[in-house]
Amino acid sequence: MELKKAIFERRSIRQFTDADITPEELEMLVHAGIWAPTAGNIQPWLFFCVTGPEQIHNIQVLSPGMLGNPTALVCVCSDLNRAFEKAGEGGKTLALFDCAMASQNIMLRAHDLGIGSCVVRSFNQAAVRTILKAPSHVQPELIIMLGRPARVPNPPKRNEDVLFWEEYTEEGEGK
Amino acid sequence: MSEHTLQAGLFDLIGYMLTSARGLVDEPRLYGPFRLVDGVSRLCTLLEQEASPHRDFFAGLREKIDEGKFSVMTDEKAFIALLDDAVLEYTKKRVED
Repeated sequence: MELKKAIFERRSIRQFTDADITPEELEMLVHAGIWAPTAGNIQPWLFFCVTGPEQIHNIQVLSPGMLGNPTALVCVCSDLNRAFEKAGEGGKTLALFDCAMASQNIMLRAHDLGIGSCVVRSFNQAAVRTILKAPSHVQPELIIMLGRPARVPNPPKRNEDVLFWEEYTEEGEGK
Repeated sequence: MSEHTLQAGLFDLIGYMLTSARGLVDEPRLYGPFRLVDGVSRLCTLLEQEASPHRDFFAGLREKIDEGKFSVMTDEKAFIALLDDAVLEYTKKRVED
């Protein structure tokens, strides 16, 4: 799929069919994630693929923003030990940026493969960490819901008046 | 719905409410009403499977909420209108009964 098409046609999908996402597809998605830009090549991310219905349900119960019926999840986590070791106190923020960029790669690749996705931040990080049996230095940052799209929503309106040339001007703000 | 299934559903709902309460401390203002009305939808899902004279009402209210709730992200006025409508529908049901 052409990159431009993937960028502009990807939507947040929340309604999925029952069809499974294969382990091979999930590996392809994670592979796209690990090729995202990363500050100082720290690669502070960890990816938990979840496909078991009971495990998905347990995570969903503790994730108010996870609306819909995904058949797979990728929990994108930062490794806070690695981030701190490589970048000190600022490493946590850099890890968050890196996880976000990896997530976008995953969602674009998913769209490329005909897989619907929706990224979620409204979940309880400590609760999800507990469900994943992850140690305290593993911080769940984003959860990507995945599945075969059953319904694709219309694109929401975008604010196009956010571009400035060379410098900030009052006239250019919020037109 | 068996007592066991209802209990399991309510147990899930507690998880949703608790994590919503904590999450809303740091989340956008409109997420509060969204979580509450989504919680009503989840409760209706459980109640409409019970032997109750109100089953059709629960099903209708859930359908209305689920159809309109995502407007919270695209059309604030439409979302508020949905809440107004749901309140009115619930009130009429109370008066009728």
